[in-house]
Amino acid sequence: MSAAPKQGIARLLARGGIAAPLALAALLWAVFVLPHASDYVVRVLTVAGTYALLALGFGFVFGQAGALSLAQGTFMGVGAYVSGILAVRWGVPFDAALPASIGLPVLLALIAGVPVLRLQTHYFALATLLIGQVVLLIAVQWESLTGGANGIGGIPGLSLFGWPLHSRLAALLLVWAFVAAGGLLAWHLGRGRLGIAYAVLRGQPVAARAIGIDTGTLRLLAFLLSAGYAGLAGSLYVRAIGVLSPDILGFPVMVTCLTIAVVGSRRRVAGAILGAVLIVELPEWARFLRDDYLLAYGCILLLVIVAIPEGLTETADRWLARLLPPPPRPLPAPAPLPTAHVSPRGETLLEVSGLVRRFGGVRALDGVSLDLHGGEVLGLIGPNGSGKTTLVNVVTGIFPPDAGTVRFAGRDIAGLAPHRIARLCIARTFQTAALAPDLSALDNVAIARDAARLGFWRALRARGTEKAAAEAEAMGLLVRMDAAAHALAPAGTLPPGIARRVEIARALAVRPRVLLLDEPAAGLNEEEQADLARRLRTIAAEGVAIVVIEHNMPFLAPLADRLICLDRGRVIAAGLPDAVTSDPRVIEAYLGTPRAVAS
Amino acid sequence: MPISQLLLGVLALGAAYALIALGFVLILNATGAVNFSQGDLVMAGGFGAVALGQALHWTGLALLPALLVGMAALGVVLAVLTYLPLRRRPPEAVFISTIAFGIILQNLANRLFGAEPLAAPSLLGAGRVRFAGVNASLQSLATIGVAALLIVALHVMFTHTQTGRRLRAMAQDRDVALAMGIPVDRMVVGTFAVAAALAGGAGLLLSNVFFVTPTSGGEYMVKAYIAVVIGGWGSIAGAVAGALLIAAFEVIYPSIPLLVPALLPWSDTAFSQTTSTIMLDAAVLLILMLRPQGLFGERVRQRP
Repeated sequence: MSAAPKQGIARLLARGGIAAPLALAALLWAVFVLPHASDYVVRVLTVAGTYALLALGFGFVFGQAGALSLAQGTFMGVGAYVSGILAVRWGVPFDAALPASIGLPVLLALIAGVPVLRLQTHYFALATLLIGQVVLLIAVQWESLTGGANGIGGIPGLSLFGWPLHSRLAALLLVWAFVAAGGLLAWHLGRGRLGIAYAVLRGQPVAARAIGIDTGTLRLLAFLLSAGYAGLAGSLYVRAIGVLSPDILGFPVMVTCLTIAVVGSRRRVAGAILGAVLIVELPEWARFLRDDYLLAYGCILLLVIVAIPEGLTETADRWLARLLPPPPRPLPAPAPLPTAHVSPRGETLLEVSGLVRRFGGVRALDGVSLDLHGGEVLGLIGPNGSGKTTLVNVVTGIFPPDAGTVRFAGRDIAGLAPHRIARLCIARTFQTAALAPDLSALDNVAIARDAARLGFWRALRARGTEKAAAEAEAMGLLVRMDAAAHALAPAGTLPPGIARRVEIARALAVRPRVLLLDEPAAGLNEEEQADLARRLRTIAAEGVAIVVIEHNMPFLAPLADRLICLDRGRVIAAGLPDAVTSDPRVIEAYLGTPRAVAS
Repeated sequence: MPISQLLLGVLALGAAYALIALGFVLILNATGAVNFSQGDLVMAGGFGAVALGQALHWTGLALLPALLVGMAALGVVLAVLTYLPLRRRPPEAVFISTIAFGIILQNLANRLFGAEPLAAPSLLGAGRVRFAGVNASLQSLATIGVAALLIVALHVMFTHTQTGRRLRAMAQDRDVALAMGIPVDRMVVGTFAVAAALAGGAGLLLSNVFFVTPTSGGEYMVKAYIAVVIGGWGSIAGAVAGALLIAAFEVIYPSIPLLVPALLPWSDTAFSQTTSTIMLDAAVLLILMLRPQGLFGERVRQRP
């Protein structure tokens, strides 16, 4: 009799994870307990709501983009100051002040973010820390506007469309309505291909750019969103509390936000909300902690990052998934990828001339020139350190050249950003397969198809059909590379041989006209090598120009139409495979001079 | 004010900052992670000196060995709590765990010593020394001496002992060091101990003149971080140079009106301590944007 509801609950838990029972508990609490709650409880929960918004915003920059910003508290403080000052000095109500109190933190993030987001993690953390320090000092110093160290009291409360919300309960409901809306937006943005793109950006930043993802813009988007949420949180906070003080710009607010994000799980909407309620309520539950709440936060932060670094909700979901395995995701039916542009066989696609690239004193490329034509397979050989991979890196924009030109279909592409080059239909693989480890093979491939179609507005309007089409075409590519059996496995768990084939499928999702493969046959047995060579041949037959870096001659010689041998950054031989492999200079480069061998 | 007096001030402050920055960069090189509690270790050293001074009534110099040993022990605790459990996770995890550790230290200090500023005992006494027209406090001279001694001791350890060579090998390439049979984890714990001792020594030196409060660590952390960034990420000599540069800025910038009397009317505004900090932060932000490799560092080009 009870089997059906039990199954229903199990299905709900398996699909929605821990978020479902949490939401149910919150709903029950709101209906049965909240109407009788004391003013004090309502007030604390209102504050918890503002911190939930703050942490939801932090999830974009810290969770999605993976950048440890230490300015999230600062953006909240700026929002609070803008709203509070507008209210006290010019009588602007809460909602009319919103554009400014959200806009100014976003503007600050835009000004700071463009140069600072290029920086690596540790520099970015310092830069955001310094921005916070400067803002705090200015707020304390500019007494005539901000009230200096004392701040400003008597900030009028929340209001909506000219109606002041006098009751605390109404204020609480408004704050939590914003949390619900903010949470919904964050969930919607994170679940689609934008979320997948962020996972690639975090896990494989170089590969992300090489498949056409504009990582700089995505990082900036995350930073701006985080600042916007923080500005909203700050303007709600200052109106709910009624006092503006420089404490809101201090480091403890940042620590609280970080603790919430780490405890709750940094990429989960439910995590940000649960974390905020737990962390903000904690000093109220454990009264003895009230003076030492930061001590408790420090201990909790340390404990969680050491014991369950994924945070509560993600860890709970993992346990749940073990108890109640979710229904397997249905495999999409494979569909062919519409080809973008078929190059006539023999058309010159890539012309490299006089390419120079230095690393310190070493000339990794020392005047390399070559042509590549549609439909041909060019083998690139040479001893270790001869510049093969550097050549691919320069052609694909990972490194700008120091001199020389790279022309693609007649257009100079030297020095373009990697994602722009990828979008011109130049794809590559890496020496060690660079797939985002947490994503399935299918997602890794599907995102490459959509890399040029990412962004805030597109993600907002995203529909399921678009995703289904991407997955079907990605499935088609996996079938083509004989990796379909592994479509749903996390890429980090794939054996190297499979990972390579998935990576080639991902490169094909870019719809390449030029395909550069860095040691695709490494680690494959002879049968697999022959199979790979056949598949590459059919790709070339469609007009794609393929460059294969290899040491493995039995694999390369029958596959390649031409060979080029590099040594110390120079082309030392070029031509038909047999001619190049028997060229004495090539043999010398690989084996050393006869004298060197003798000694 | 004579220039030589200013320079002495720069050297004394810079020497203390250098100790903090050295600890920071040692941990950075050993683990690839930022120790965000480095400033709070300075604070802990300051309070340690205060407590030892109250208990023993010795001069700071006499307290120094005991303080260094105690701080090294705290460094071991730091490593065991914040680094060892996270050594296989991305460096950002250690960044966060050391933030947590710093918060814990701050609030423990607040519990034990209160929020009022306290002064650590001076190194040798409160006297002043006159030579060559310079009127120098004994404290600043002794500060330079002690810091120089610690830096030289560190240098000797790095270049002349087996442990030092192992530490350098580990800093260059962890995996290779492990393959060579160097006990990497033990070396890392040792690095934390050395870094904490250096920070504690700096705490003793700084807390006599500038006092110590539970929250004074944040400033020192930022300065160590800045010193390592402008000196070139991971460069030991660069960290010392960066520390001296920061000290020079902090000592000289507010003194500009004293050197150029025409600017005296602005000494409380454009040349205040706050403005000085803002200017320093802005300068560092500019450096980060224009030369992310640091002022002295060569642009490092890594293969992806």
